[in-house]
Amino acid sequence: MQDRTCETLVIGAGYAGLSAARELTRAGVDVLVAEARDRVGGRVWTQTTPAGALIDHGGQWIGPGQDHLQKLADECGTATFPTYTTGEGVEWRAGTRSTYAGLIPTSDPEAAADGIEAIFELDLASAEVPLHAPWDAPDARARDEQTLGGWLAASVASDGARATIAAAVKSIFGAEPGELSLLFTLFYLRSGGGLMNLARTTNGAQERRFTAGAQQCALHLAEDLGDRLLLASPVTAVQYGGDGVVATVAAAGPGGDRHAFAIRARRLVVAMPPALSVRLGWSPPLPGRRDQLSMRAPMGSVTKIHAVYDRPFWRDEGLNGQVVSDDGAIRVTFDDSPADGSHGILLGFVAGSECRALDGCTPAQRAHIAVADLVRYFGPRAAKPVEIVEQHWPAEPYTRGGPVAVFSPGLLTDFGPALRDPVGPVHWAGTETATEWCGYIDGALSSGVRAAGEVLAALSG
Amino acid sequence: MADRDEIAEAYADWRVRCNENDRLRRMLRGWDRVVHLVATDTGDRFTVVVRDQILAELTDGADEVADVVVTATSEDFADLFWGDLNPSQKYMSGEITLAGAQEDVMRLDAMSMVAFLDQ
Repeated sequence: MQDRTCETLVIGAGYAGLSAARELTRAGVDVLVAEARDRVGGRVWTQTTPAGALIDHGGQWIGPGQDHLQKLADECGTATFPTYTTGEGVEWRAGTRSTYAGLIPTSDPEAAADGIEAIFELDLASAEVPLHAPWDAPDARARDEQTLGGWLAASVASDGARATIAAAVKSIFGAEPGELSLLFTLFYLRSGGGLMNLARTTNGAQERRFTAGAQQCALHLAEDLGDRLLLASPVTAVQYGGDGVVATVAAAGPGGDRHAFAIRARRLVVAMPPALSVRLGWSPPLPGRRDQLSMRAPMGSVTKIHAVYDRPFWRDEGLNGQVVSDDGAIRVTFDDSPADGSHGILLGFVAGSECRALDGCTPAQRAHIAVADLVRYFGPRAAKPVEIVEQHWPAEPYTRGGPVAVFSPGLLTDFGPALRDPVGPVHWAGTETATEWCGYIDGALSSGVRAAGEVLAALSG
Repeated sequence: MADRDEIAEAYADWRVRCNENDRLRRMLRGWDRVVHLVATDTGDRFTVVVRDQILAELTDGADEVADVVVTATSEDFADLFWGDLNPSQKYMSGEITLAGAQEDVMRLDAMSMVAFLDQ
């Protein structure tokens, strides 16, 4: 492979990188996009299973207010359909199964009311957090020294309420409440319209799904890039300075052997989570603040497990496929069946500590544990899925976890501005840098637009 | 279908319970708002004013400018105020809609859930 030259190199062809590349290309900038994986989409990845089921291994929903994603879906002609919500959810608490209607499990009404009040207090506090500068929020430092877990322990009386919120938080962040800075949590909630909004299906962040999978729009963007997109091209080193950047790419050859080539560019957009962006082999080393930021933003821990059945049998029993549980590996589920219900798919999240506990298991072992959980929630008909498909994100070499980076206490107040501040010719994109829908596909798209804007200003300056 | 009188009677009952509920009083702090109720089947309109953590009596019509507009069938309004209907379930299914600023919608959504659970 010959060395290449372009005006701007984008590293990462997830939605953030693709969005940046599209903006730049539209503005007439000569762009190359280097992607380590052999596919686009990043943390969004749609696959058809051997049995013919369409599975989203990563990000999969679109909800009200996600205007960047909706606009892109409209442009691509990508259809969506409502997440299945008819019927009741299953609650598993203290070894007992019951069903509930509405947003929150209600077997213990006092605990449910406590939970709602806690969510309400978090959402009210989050409304005070300025999205462009969360470190300027009221009591920013005190809140950044505290974790969400600490706040829950001090502010929420009932065990049941804490367990319900913990189950939701684990699935949203892939982390335990004790890992999350309270200030980061409040920022994240506000950027997605509040915890109530993030936890909801209808009228919330899980409202609709993509008929052809959530990766479809990324494939459209990739098509537009044509040969400007280099797949299976991990960047192993970046030299940067006043003249621009030189990135070393270790491309996979036909026989699987790798051979290096260089890409020279005036500007660079790094569209990766902070923890991964610092692994690129920087020369000179990144400024201390930027590097230390990445050390405080580990990836969450999540495994998505899809159990495919001949039909969505739980619907016959008046169940909507959603579970909230205080026990087991899978503690939150959704009905992930196709729009026509031609077969049934249950999606289970194994998140936070549960995900880490099963890290040493084989996929078959995890599947066995997952099915046992599903039988507990949905009865014996859940025992024999046609197939079980999992995506254990911590093992994915170019993602190393998910769904999002987890900001530890102190990050935002001491390092926050370094999230987006360019370093010489290097600009930062990725959903973690977004001010709206941080952690979501929509945030990835807007971060790409923002980074592209910085590059255009720099190129014309 | 529920007529105006039945909705008013059910609301009067609900209002007493809400105003006596400490948790709801806490959640209403700093939230002085005008809420319109619109019954989709009968076209009846009502106004609820929240001031100083107290729900006022229901008034007929919707003349003031509303902060939040709630739409539902007349039957659902009556059932909700009698405490027989889980508002969260109806909101999830789209049978009850809330229109207004995001924070106001969130407040009303949370408060109606608590009123249902805490009765």
